[in-house]
Amino acid sequence: MKINFTFFLLLGMPVLSQAQNTCATALSVTPGTTYAVSAVDGTDVPTLVCTTNGTGQTAGEWYTYTPNADYTVTITTDLPASGGADTRFHVYSGTCGALVCVSGDDDGGAGLTSTATFNVTNGTNYTIAFDNRWTSAGFSFKLTETPIIVQPTPPVTFTANSFPSVSGTYGLATTDMNGDFLDDIVTVSASSVQILYQQISGAYITTNIPTTTTMFQPSWSMAIGDIDKNGFNDMLYGSGSGVTFMKANATGTAYTEISGTEYVFCQRTNFVDINNDGNLDAFSCHDIDPNVYYLNDGSGNLTFHTGGLGDHAEGGNYGSIWMDYDNDGDQDLYIAKCRGGASTAKVDELHRNDGGGIFTDVSVASGMANPSQSWSSAWNDFNNDGWMDALVGASSTDDGGHFLMKNDGDGTFSDVTTGSGWDVNPSLSIEHVSFDFDNDGFTDVMGGGNKILFGNGDMTFFPIVYAFSSGSVGDLNNDGFLDVRNGSTVYMNNKNSNNWITINLQGIQSNSNAIGARVEIYGSWGKQIRDIRSGDGFRYMNTLNAHFGIGTATVIDSIMIKWPSGHIDQVNNPTINQPLTVVEGSHPLSLLEIDGKKIALYPNPTTDYLTIENYDLLDASSIQIYTQLGEQVMNTEKKDAKISLTGLASGRYFLVIQTKNGEKYSESFIKM
Amino acid sequence: MLFMNRKRTDSNRLIVSACAVGAFALMLFLIPSCKKKPKVEPIDPPVEGGTGVSVDLTTVPYTKLSDYRFFQGEMKNQTPAEKVIPYQPASGLFTDYAHKKRFIWMPNGTMATYNGDHNVLELPVGAALIKTFYYDDVQPAGTTRIIETRIMIRKSSGWIFANYVWNTEQTEAYLDMNGSYTSISWLQNGTPKSASYRIPNQTECHTCHKLNDEPIPIGIKPQNLNIDYTYDDGTQNQLQKLIAVGYLQNTLPGNIVSTVNYMDQTKTVNERFRSYVDINCAHCHAEGKHCSYRPMRLAYSETTDPINLGLCVEPEEFINSNLAYIIKPNDKNRSMMYYRLGSTLPSERMPLLGRTIVHDEGLQLLEEWITWKQTCN
Repeated sequence: MKINFTFFLLLGMPVLSQAQNTCATALSVTPGTTYAVSAVDGTDVPTLVCTTNGTGQTAGEWYTYTPNADYTVTITTDLPASGGADTRFHVYSGTCGALVCVSGDDDGGAGLTSTATFNVTNGTNYTIAFDNRWTSAGFSFKLTETPIIVQPTPPVTFTANSFPSVSGTYGLATTDMNGDFLDDIVTVSASSVQILYQQISGAYITTNIPTTTTMFQPSWSMAIGDIDKNGFNDMLYGSGSGVTFMKANATGTAYTEISGTEYVFCQRTNFVDINNDGNLDAFSCHDIDPNVYYLNDGSGNLTFHTGGLGDHAEGGNYGSIWMDYDNDGDQDLYIAKCRGGASTAKVDELHRNDGGGIFTDVSVASGMANPSQSWSSAWNDFNNDGWMDALVGASSTDDGGHFLMKNDGDGTFSDVTTGSGWDVNPSLSIEHVSFDFDNDGFTDVMGGGNKILFGNGDMTFFPIVYAFSSGSVGDLNNDGFLDVRNGSTVYMNNKNSNNWITINLQGIQSNSNAIGARVEIYGSWGKQIRDIRSGDGFRYMNTLNAHFGIGTATVIDSIMIKWPSGHIDQVNNPTINQPLTVVEGSHPLSLLEIDGKKIALYPNPTTDYLTIENYDLLDASSIQIYTQLGEQVMNTEKKDAKISLTGLASGRYFLVIQTKNGEKYSESFIKM
Repeated sequence: MLFMNRKRTDSNRLIVSACAVGAFALMLFLIPSCKKKPKVEPIDPPVEGGTGVSVDLTTVPYTKLSDYRFFQGEMKNQTPAEKVIPYQPASGLFTDYAHKKRFIWMPNGTMATYNGDHNVLELPVGAALIKTFYYDDVQPAGTTRIIETRIMIRKSSGWIFANYVWNTEQTEAYLDMNGSYTSISWLQNGTPKSASYRIPNQTECHTCHKLNDEPIPIGIKPQNLNIDYTYDDGTQNQLQKLIAVGYLQNTLPGNIVSTVNYMDQTKTVNERFRSYVDINCAHCHAEGKHCSYRPMRLAYSETTDPINLGLCVEPEEFINSNLAYIIKPNDKNRSMMYYRLGSTLPSERMPLLGRTIVHDEGLQLLEEWITWKQTCN
C-alpha cells in the first residue's frame, strides 16, 4: 500500500516529476502503463552495466518495480512513442549502492531500441535504470507482466571476468606459451609481446617482453607453435603485406624477429607440418595472389615457397584450415574463399594430402567447390561417425548462405544444410570455429551474432546468444570447460554437470605441439575425434589442447593418439574430469594382447631393424610391409621376430601380420 | 601514316629512320651497331613523330620513365611533352596526402570514345595514363619529393601496369613492380605529418584497378572530368579539351551527371560526400569489384539512393556492437563507416589499400554528412 500511495502522490505532484533522477528517488512502475521520459538527465549515473557496449553514460533515469507474484516480465522501449530512440537500460536487484545485475539490454528492440524479458520473484524489489550511453533524448517504455514462462536454459553460461592488466594492440591468442599446457593470454603489439601466464593455482603472472619493432604485425591473423622444438612456443604474425616469425629463446623470455622479404597479403595463417618431416612449417592464405608457405628445415631456417596449395592467380584465399578429412593420417587443406564480381577466386578449395608433399585439388570431386562468400570454415565430427564434417560459414549472402557439409567417408561430402539450423541462422560472420563448449559430447560452432550453435550430434544445431562475440578460445581456468576471450575480458564458462577430459600432447618425433595429431576417445558414445590445429577460424589462435566432453558418461574406455609421425599411443581407462598429458611414444599401441602379453613393434621409429615383441605367440603365416600409398614393399614368411628394413627408404610404413587363421593385424612404423 | 624516329641518347646522335607502316602494324628496327661501344646497347624504343613520345607496345614497360619521353626538360618538373595532356578528376583518391599530377597520351590518329557518364572512357590501344605521386614541404628541408609515377598502358590484350620509383636525385625513375615502403615527413598546411608510404606492387595495383579480374583505369570517367582545368594556354573544360586535341570523339551528351570537388564548399554536403566515396571507395564497392559481396554500392551513379551508402544498413562484418549500422543518421558513434575511415589498423581501416594515416578532411566530411542525414530516407 505504501508503494501505491507514493505512486499516486508523485502523479499528483508535478514538481516531483524529476524524482526518477536518482536511485534513491526512483519512481515506482505500474505494469502495463506507458511512461514517457522527456530526457535522460538524472544526476545518478548507472555505473553498473548489465548489457553490452560498455561505458560512456553520464546520466540516468531510475525506476523501481516490486511484483506481487512470480512473473515473466518484459521491459521495452520498442514503442511507437519512442520514435526509435537509441536507448539502453539495466535491471538490478539489491539496494542503491549495492546493486546486482538481473537483466538489461541495449539494442534488442527494433532499430536501436531496447527490450529484455526475464523472470521476477514475488516481493523482490527491482531497480530499472536507463542511461544515456548513446543519447539523452527522450523515449517511452513499458513493463508488462505475463504468467511465468520457463526461460530456455542454455546448455552452459558464461561470466565476464576482467583482466585489467591485459594491454596491447592485438589480443588474439589464448594459447599455452611455456609448455605447461595451461592456456596463456597473449597480446601482441608492434614492439612487445604481453603474456599472462596461467598458473596451476588459477592466478596469472603478467609478463611484458619487449621485442624489435616488427616489420609485420598480426593485423589479419596469428598462429602459434614451437618451430624449433625448444619447449617455448613461437609466433607467426600475418599482416597485409608480409609474414613475421617471432622465435622464443631457450627460456621463453625473449623473441627474435624473422621477417619474410616476400609480399604476402595474409589472411588466415597456420602452423602445420606440411611435408611431415617432424618440423612445423607455416602457411598463409594470400588475399590477392597464390597461397604461400615457409618450409622449416629443422635448423631454424624457414624457406619461402609458393605453388601447389591454392594457386588461383587472383587469390581470394581467406580461411585455411588443416585437418584430416579422409582419415589417412595426414593433413589436408580446406580454403574458405571470397571475392566479389564474376571472379572464380571465390570458389572454395579442398586439397588432399597424398604424402611426400604432394597435394591433389579435389574441390570439385569432393563436392566442396563452394562459391559462397566465406572467410572461414569450422571442421569437426559433428555426428560422431568418425569423419570430419564442415560448416562453411557465410560472410555475405551474395553467393549462398551457410553450408553444412556431412563427410560421407568416401571422399565426398553431402550438403545437409536444410533443416540443420544453419539454414535459418541469419547471422553472418568472418569467424566460424568448432569446439564442444558444453561438454555434452557433441561439437558446436561459434559464429556470428554473438551465437554459439550447439550441436545435437545429428548434424542439427540450435543457437544461444551470449554477451560475447567471436574471440580466441581456451581453457583459462583449467576446469575442462572452454572459455572465450574478447580483448581484456574473458567470458569464463560457468560449467555444467557434464564430464570431460583434456588431452595435452607432447610430440617427440612429430612436431612438439602435435599439430596434425588425430585424437580419438572411445566409450559408451562410440567414438569422438579431434585434430590438433594451429589456426582455425579466421583471425584468432586458440588452445592447442584437445578438449572432449563426454556428457553424463563416466568412463572413457580408451584414448588413441595418432601422431603425424605415424606413431600411435593408446591410453586405456583414463581418469575423467582432469587433463591427461601424453608424450609421443609413451603409450605404444600393442597390436593385440595374448594372455596379457602385448604384441608390439619396437623400436618405433626405427633405423635398420624392427622387432615384433611376443611374435612367437602369434600363429603367423606372413608379414607384409606397405608404404603409405599402399604399395607393398615386403612380403615374407619369415619366422624371426626381427625384420631387416635394409633397402627401405625413410618414411612411414604399415606392417601387416596375417595369421594362419586368416586374421590380420596392422601397425604403422617410421623408418628414419 | 605514322612517322617515328629513334634517338641514341648515349651519343646524342640522332638517327632518323622513317618508314610508313599500316595503322596496326608493329615496327621492327635494325640498329646500326656502334663500333665505339664494346657491349651491346639496349634497343631504344621508337619515338612518335611530332610529339616525341615513345610507347612501343612490343617493348613496354620500359625500364626507365625517361624512355617514354612524356616530359620536356628536367623530368622532375613534370612539364608534359606536346600532346601529353594533364587532367584532374573533380575529386581525388586520398593516398596519405600525396599530391598528384595526371596526364594522358594517345598515339597519333587515335581517340577515345564516350561510354556513359560514369564509365571509364573507352581508350584506344596504345593509350597511356600517367600519374605522379609527390609531396611538398618535405622535412627537414621543405623540398618537393617525387616518389613514384604510375603508368597504365592499353595494349591490344588489355591494360598493363607499370610503376616507376624515383631516385633520390629526382633525375630518373625506374620500373619496379615489386612494391616497397618509403618513409616521408612533410608539412600539411603547416602541420607536421609522416607516413610509411606504400608504393604498390603489381597485384596491389590490380586489386583496385579491375573489373571482374580484368585490369581497368578508375578516374578517367566523364563524370570526373566535366570541370575546368587551367592549361598553359588557358582554362577549359577537360572533356572539351580532350575533344579539341583530338583525343575524344565529339559524341558527348548535352548533360553529364558529374561528380564535384569534395572540398568545394559551394556544393551540397550530399554531392561532396557522394563524390568522395565514389573516387575513394567505389573501385572495390561496386558491381564486379573486389568487395562487391558487401552491401554498399558507392559509385556516384548509385548513391542517389542512400541505402547504397549503407544508411541504416546493418554491417555484415562485426567489429564491435557499438557499430550497429554502416551509417546511422546523426550518430557517427554507431556508424561503422565512420569508425573504419578513422581507423589505421590494417584490417579495419577503409580503404584497406592506399591509406595508412587518417584523412582528416574526409572523415570530417563523413561526419558532416551523417549529421546532415537525420533520417533513414
